[in-house]
Amino acid sequence: MADDGMAAQVSPGAARGALAYLTEMSPDLRGAAILGRDGEVLAGSGEPGRWRDDAAALFEIADRAGDEPVEQVHIGTEQGEVFALRHAGLAAVAVTERFALASLTFFDMRTMLRDLAGETSQPTFVGPEHVESPQREDGDFE
Amino acid sequence: MTPPKPHRVLLDRVSGYADEAAAYMRRRRAARRPFARLYYAGGRAEDHATDSAAAGELFVAAGRLIEVAGRRPKS
Repeated sequence: MADDGMAAQVSPGAARGALAYLTEMSPDLRGAAILGRDGEVLAGSGEPGRWRDDAAALFEIADRAGDEPVEQVHIGTEQGEVFALRHAGLAAVAVTERFALASLTFFDMRTMLRDLAGETSQPTFVGPEHVESPQREDGDFE
Repeated sequence: MTPPKPHRVLLDRVSGYADEAAAYMRRRRAARRPFARLYYAGGRAEDHATDSAAAGELFVAAGRLIEVAGRRPKS
């Protein structure tokens, strides 16, 4: 997955906690996944294996569409909207209902990846010592 | 100044409602139109025409992800 940033070492537990918190905060979110540099799914709703292949395909097509690697992808269809973002060697993909607030969704996703990459001094999405709080345990994430 | 004829008032009102409905339909059509936007480092953004080959491929890939996400789980 093309991204100039160094790949952050992220534990699956921290990724799961961050994703559960994102889901909790975003009423329009249907499903999402966090992927590592090699495209492996660190956390994802539903079937994680499918996120890996389909997110990789999306980024590959998006990179091919322009003359440089893409940073963010926003696609709207009648069935829903897809947001994809790369940052610090990580990637996040989210599917929302139609007409979700794009800037807010991208802001939350970027903040989540920055937190996971350890770039923020006071993380919003990642708990202290990457402990998953009971509130963040959704049970729907693999 | 003479007041407008009653049937004129009615016609104006009906055509006003029709204009509102037409504007609503125009806005709805525009809002429901699919789009594909790509953002690059430095803030550059590119909007791909819906009938372009790249947009077509992006819509297919997005459709698969929408399928993977499924419906939002009930809390």
